[in-house]
Amino acid sequence: MIAKIVCYTLCGLEGVPIEVETDVNKGIPSYEMVGLPDAAVKESKERVRSAIKNSGMLFPVNRITVNFAPADLRKEGAAYDLAIAVSLLKASEQLIGAQVEDIVFLGELALNGDLRPLNGLLPILISAKGHGFTRFIIPSANAREARFLGGAEIYPARTLSQVVRHLLGTERMAPLETARFSVCRPETSSVDLKYVKGQPVARRAIEIAVAGGHNLLMVGPPGTGKTMLARCLPTIMPDLLFSEALEITKIHSVAGILGEEGIVTERPFRTPHHTATTVSMCGGGNRVVHPGEISLAHGGVLFLDELPEYKRSTLEALRQPLEDGTITVSRAGGTVTYPARFMLCASMNPCPCGNYGSVDLVCSCTPNEIRRYRKKVSGPLLDRIDLQVEVDNISYDDLSARKYGESSEQVRERVNKARRVQTNRFAESGIQTNAEMGERELSEFCVLNRESDEILRGAFEKMKLSARARSRIIKVARTIADLDLSESILPKHVFEAVSYRLYDKLG
Amino acid sequence: MKEYGPDEILIWLCSCTGLDQRERVALLRAAGSPERLFGDFEKYFAELIKKPARGLYKSSGLSARRKELEELLVRMKRADIFTVTVSDQEYPEALKAIADPPLVLFGKGNRELLTRKKFCIVGSRITPPWAEKLGSAVAARLSRRFTIVTGIAEGGDIAAARGALGEGNLICVLPNGLDGCYPASHAAWKEEIGRHGLLISEYPLGEGVKKYYFHARNRILAGLSEGVLVISAGARSGALMTANYAAEYGRDVFAFPYNPGISQGVGCNELIKRGAGLCTDAEDIFSAFGMHDEAIDPPVLSREEHRVLAILRAEGELHAQLVAERAGMQIYEATAVLAALELKGLAVKAGGNRYAAL
Repeated sequence: MIAKIVCYTLCGLEGVPIEVETDVNKGIPSYEMVGLPDAAVKESKERVRSAIKNSGMLFPVNRITVNFAPADLRKEGAAYDLAIAVSLLKASEQLIGAQVEDIVFLGELALNGDLRPLNGLLPILISAKGHGFTRFIIPSANAREARFLGGAEIYPARTLSQVVRHLLGTERMAPLETARFSVCRPETSSVDLKYVKGQPVARRAIEIAVAGGHNLLMVGPPGTGKTMLARCLPTIMPDLLFSEALEITKIHSVAGILGEEGIVTERPFRTPHHTATTVSMCGGGNRVVHPGEISLAHGGVLFLDELPEYKRSTLEALRQPLEDGTITVSRAGGTVTYPARFMLCASMNPCPCGNYGSVDLVCSCTPNEIRRYRKKVSGPLLDRIDLQVEVDNISYDDLSARKYGESSEQVRERVNKARRVQTNRFAESGIQTNAEMGERELSEFCVLNRESDEILRGAFEKMKLSARARSRIIKVARTIADLDLSESILPKHVFEAVSYRLYDKLG
Repeated sequence: MKEYGPDEILIWLCSCTGLDQRERVALLRAAGSPERLFGDFEKYFAELIKKPARGLYKSSGLSARRKELEELLVRMKRADIFTVTVSDQEYPEALKAIADPPLVLFGKGNRELLTRKKFCIVGSRITPPWAEKLGSAVAARLSRRFTIVTGIAEGGDIAAARGALGEGNLICVLPNGLDGCYPASHAAWKEEIGRHGLLISEYPLGEGVKKYYFHARNRILAGLSEGVLVISAGARSGALMTANYAAEYGRDVFAFPYNPGISQGVGCNELIKRGAGLCTDAEDIFSAFGMHDEAIDPPVLSREEHRVLAILRAEGELHAQLVAERAGMQIYEATAVLAALELKGLAVKAGGNRYAAL
C-alpha cells in the first residue's frame, strides 16, 4: 500500500511543500530512500525504525521505499522524521481510518519516540497556510512560536504515540490556542537613556536617527559612552507592530535563535564583533543559506563598534543592503533573498590614539596616521551614514544644568510622534521612514524654500558634498522638521542637518 | 652638433644632485664660465670636490654629458616644465638677494606669478582647526594683493594654499622634483595648483624628498617673499625655520597669537616675543605694508547668530552645550546656529563638539 504525507522544508524564508510517499511491498525486506535526501535525512531511517518500535508499533518487515517529491530539490535536515514515520505507519496499515492527507507533519524524532523541535517553524507555518493547509502537527517544544499563527488548527505533540492516538481518534489532542501579540518592554531595564550622563549632542543625534530611520556614526575618544548610547537605541525605537514582529521572528526562527517567548517582542540589537566575516554578516553557508547579522538585525539595530577595525570587504558588502533593505545570497544550495532593513549604528575613535579633539589629552598621531585610520572606512559607506556625530569627553561637572537625564520613554514619545507624521505622509508611498525616501518622495515632500535652498547650496560648495550626501541632508532635515512638528523645512532644520555631516569636511 | 648655452648647462649642473649649492657655485667660479665647466667637468671636480665622484655625476666625458643634458631637456619639455636661471630677467629679485639663491628654478604653471609681489604663509603640519580656517581666510584676502607663497604639506601650508587658490595667485615651493608629491595624498592639490597657480622647485625631475631639502626649501619660501606669516609652529617647527630665514633676509615676520600652553603655538608666541608682528586679520598685514584693502561686507547675521557669536568671542573655545546654556537655547537650536556661523566662515568646529569664533 502507498501512503502520501505532506511535510515542509525551507528555502530562505519560504516554506516549500515536500510529499513523503511510502510504499510497503512484499519482497525481500529492505528500506530505501529516494528523492535526493542528504545524509541527515537518510539517517532518519534508523531514528524512525527505533521510534516506531519504542512507541509500541510494528516496523514492517517488508520491502519499503520512501520517496521525497519534488525529486529535484535537495532534502536536508531531520525535520522529515515525523512525516516519514506517519507515512510508514499508514502504508503498513497501522493507521486505518485516520485522515492524514490534509495534515502537515513537522518534527524530528528521538529514538524513544519523543518529538524534537525544529528551526524555522514559523515561516513554514505561514507559507503552508498560504498554500491552503490549515492543520498541523508540530513538536510541543515549538508551540510557543506557533501560537501566534491564527486561523489554523495546530496540534503540539510530545511523542509519536500521542500523534498516532490522535490520528486514530482514541485520544484527541487539544489544538493550540492562538495567542495575542503584545509588546513587552522589560520594566527594570538597566539600559535607559536616563543613565547616560551628558552627551547632549549625541543624544539629540540618536533621537533624530531613530525618528527618521537614519544611519548613525558616533566618533569619540575611548570610554566616552558610545556603546552605552548605542545600546539605548532599541529603547527609544517605536514599538514593534505584529507584522514586523512576525517578519523578524521568521528570520530568527530560521537562524534558530528564537528565545523563550516564541516570538520576537523587542527590536533586535545585533553587535557582530569586528572579526566577523562577510558571510557571517550578509548570510551564507555551505549548502543551506543562513541569514547573516544584517538580516538578524532586520527591524532593529546593527551596531558596529570600532568601525575601522572591520574588514574592508565586509563593510563594503553592507552598501547594497543599506540601499535596498534586502540581501540576496547565492550558494550551491540555491539563491535566497532575506530582508535586511536595519538601522546601522557605528562607532569609531577619531584617530588611532583616540585623543584627537580631546580637551585635556594630547593626540600623538601624525596627520598621516589619522588619515590612514579614517580611510579604512570608505567614502561610499560614509556617504550612506546620514548622521555623524562627535561623542566628547567633556566632564559632567562642566555642564551646570543637570536636567539632561531624560528617560528613554520621554524620547520615545517624541519619536513616535515624528513616526506618526511620517506614516501619514507616506501612506500611499509604501515606505515608512524618511530615510527610505526616493527621488520621487524627495521632490514631493521635501520642497525647500528659497532661503533653505541657498543655505544648502552654500554648504554643498563649501563642504564639497556628493549628490547623495545632499539628498541625505535633506532627508535628515525633513526628520528634524518632523520632530519639530513643522510642515515645511526651515533654515534652522537645514543648518542642524548640515552640522551632522562631520566627516565630509575632513577632505 | 648643437652647442648648449649657459642656461642649459646650469640646468645640467643643478640636476647633479650629489653636489650641493656651495659646491656648484665653487665649480662655476673656478671654471669662470658654465661652458668651460661643462667642457672639462672632471678636472674641476677633481680639484675642488673632496668627495668620491661615484654617484655625483653619472658618466664622464663630454659626449656623455651632452647626451644626459639632451635627455633632461626632452623630459622637461614633455612634462611641460619651464626653467628660470639666476641670470634671467624673470628671476625674482627678492630671491636673488639672499646669500645662496638657487641657480635654477624649475617651474610648472603660471610663470608670470614669479614677478609679482609675494607674501609667504606657512604653518606646521599639526595646526588647530581654527588656525587653519583663519589662515585660509587671511590667505584668501591677501591673495588679492599678493601672490601667496607656501609649501604643500598638511596643516598650515595646505590651508593657506586652499585659501589663495581661488584667486590663482599662489606659488607652492616643493622640496622635491616637480613630478613627485609629498605628501602623496596631496597629489590632487598639486595638480590643481599646477593648473591655476605655480609650482616651483630647485630640484630636477625625478628627485625625491630628502630631509635636508626641507631646510633648503624653506630658504626659498622666505627668500621669495616680502613677509612671512606663521599660522602655527611648535617649539621646533619648519615654519619657525622659514621665519628665521625671513628675519635673516630682512623680511617682515608675522604670527598668529596662541594661548599659553598650546604646543602648536609655542613657536608663534616665541616669534611675537622676539618682535614679530601679531596678526589676527589680513588687515594687520596690509597696514604693515601701507596697503589698504577694501573691506568685505560682513555676512548678514540673524539675532541668534549675533548672540551666539558674541558668546563665542567672549568665552573663547566653548562646548556646544555650554553655548546653548549661555544663549538660553536648546542644544539642537544652538547646533543649528553654530552650523550657520560655520558656513558663514565666522566660527569653526574645534573637535569634541567645541566651537571657536574666528
